[in-house]
Amino acid sequence: MKAVLTIIKKEFMRFFGDRRLLLTTLLLPGIVLYAVYSALGAVFANVMQDSSVPVAYVRNMPESLGEAIDEIFDLRDTDLTDEEIKSQLVEGDADIFIIFPENFDDLTVGSDVPDVSIYYNSAQTSSSLAYSSVVALLDAYEQSIANVFNINSGSDRYDLADSSDVSANILSMIVPMVLIMLLLSGCVAVVLESIAGEKERGTIATLLVTPIKRSYFAIGKILSLSVIAVLSGISSFLGLILSLPNLMGGMEVDFSLAAYGVLDYFGLFLVVMSTVLVLVSLLAIVSAYAKSVKEANGLIVPVMIIAVICSLVSMFVASPPMGLYFIPVLNSALCISTLMAGTFGIVPFLITMGINIVCAALLAVLLGAMFNSEKIMFNRA
Amino acid sequence: MQTEILKAEHLTKSFRLPLKQQKTGEKFKLAVNDLSFSAYSGEIFGLLGPNGAGKTTTLRMLATLIKPDSGDAFIDGVSVVSDPYGVRGRIGFLTSELRLEDFFTPDYLFDFFSELHGVPHDVREQRKRSMFARFGIDEFANVKMANLSTGMKQKVSIVISIVHDPDFIIFDEPTNGLDVLTAKTVTDYLSELRGEGKSIILSTHIFSLVEKLCDRVGVMIDGRMVALDTLAALTKDKSMEEKFFDLYSEVTGGRS
Repeated sequence: MKAVLTIIKKEFMRFFGDRRLLLTTLLLPGIVLYAVYSALGAVFANVMQDSSVPVAYVRNMPESLGEAIDEIFDLRDTDLTDEEIKSQLVEGDADIFIIFPENFDDLTVGSDVPDVSIYYNSAQTSSSLAYSSVVALLDAYEQSIANVFNINSGSDRYDLADSSDVSANILSMIVPMVLIMLLLSGCVAVVLESIAGEKERGTIATLLVTPIKRSYFAIGKILSLSVIAVLSGISSFLGLILSLPNLMGGMEVDFSLAAYGVLDYFGLFLVVMSTVLVLVSLLAIVSAYAKSVKEANGLIVPVMIIAVICSLVSMFVASPPMGLYFIPVLNSALCISTLMAGTFGIVPFLITMGINIVCAALLAVLLGAMFNSEKIMFNRA
Repeated sequence: MQTEILKAEHLTKSFRLPLKQQKTGEKFKLAVNDLSFSAYSGEIFGLLGPNGAGKTTTLRMLATLIKPDSGDAFIDGVSVVSDPYGVRGRIGFLTSELRLEDFFTPDYLFDFFSELHGVPHDVREQRKRSMFARFGIDEFANVKMANLSTGMKQKVSIVISIVHDPDFIIFDEPTNGLDVLTAKTVTDYLSELRGEGKSIILSTHIFSLVEKLCDRVGVMIDGRMVALDTLAALTKDKSMEEKFFDLYSEVTGGRS
């Protein structure tokens, strides 16, 4: 077992002794994610604030609606012909053209059903938005004339979800996917280099002539690379979480991570660690099989796709059947999802941990056997 | 009578040819063909032969990097087939395909491989001092491998391959790519090791190296041992080089 420690120590020396590697694997992912999402948030906020008042042409403006329409649109004179206005819509110079029948107000009182024509250009976002707001305005007006009952018209607070519930819901949707993707990219970054790279450079062969057991070598590699991959994942995760308030700035959701307790975080950590063990062992096997880092990069694509699918599925399964927890990676995504949503169960958690650890152990045995195979380790021809 | 430290019995190894080379209908190339020989303690055994004769394949089988298709070899009585771990602890193996990580320093690598071989700490430090001094590595002990010259890298590789002070040393073309000065350091060291009672088997295609260093020589051509005798007997009436060409035309019938 001392040999395992020796291997782990070497891998750590390799990683933590290399400033460049530390920067690209630990610092950059977090910083880049934070910067990108914050910038994205800033752009969104800008778009929302900046959206200029839509340009509207209105014929036969009814008195009852004049004030409301004037408030939301930049009204232009209607000296132009219908055709000229429509061509302005096509060009994007105007956003909406509304034609009310003459005496609209009188007609609405009577039994006639008047026609209102609204021309717009769905290819233009501003025009589509203008159309929706006119329709909403007219619907509301229609209801107010022929009112049968009211919905939520008082000043009470009707949506009883508190801010942290909303944030938990959003987090339970996005965190599993994002987290697994980030962990995966962390794993890819370290595993390919450390196994396919070492094989390509002939430095693994040097270890194979020492009396260290190949299975110990495999375990040492997997454990040390897992720790490094988790650190890389944590960096990305911090970058993401810290940037969420900036990203969602306009949505007024309070992403306070204090909503989760110490136990939640501990559970999350265990799930993440076991997931990384599985991902690292899986990628290690692909890397050991590949002749070069370049080939490994191609071979891992299916692994990546499966991981992405697993994490996506977790977004759509509201109450997962127990059987799904027996599928590695998918079980992790589901566990993270339930943790974030606050519907966490201990049995699925235990199944997940058990399955992941057994799976990683089996893959480690397989990796050891691969290190033992001259066909795989010396297949450079 | 010297003790037999290596006994190779009917070693055979073939490789699957890449598809492009399978046109002739042959799927496999016989790299080593029923090879049997012995080496004795305290001698330098030279495996001489042209490129592709199967020297490296033979040494890789002895070093347990690859397994023979059939046959076996015993190093100090330990089988390379049934107890490869036992063999690995007893041998030092140097070949160009075994490389050291560029990122690390000779000092670190010495410690790392010593630990893998289970060398006690005090023994390790003492050996490191004397070996580094012997090869002039001490000045570069804390320079990363990437920044060392080819010669210095090879010296470090040699030192690392014998961190555990093995009695049986397998060197594959140890002076390849080295300048005359560095090559001399290496050959002098091999003589020293023999003086300490170590057994060495080395492969080479350099005749002068064989003549200068080896006690006994095996000449390999096309995967077979075509001659095996003491250097003195082989070079009784002509130089090693002439003797080799004679053997070569005998075996191949004059084609080159």
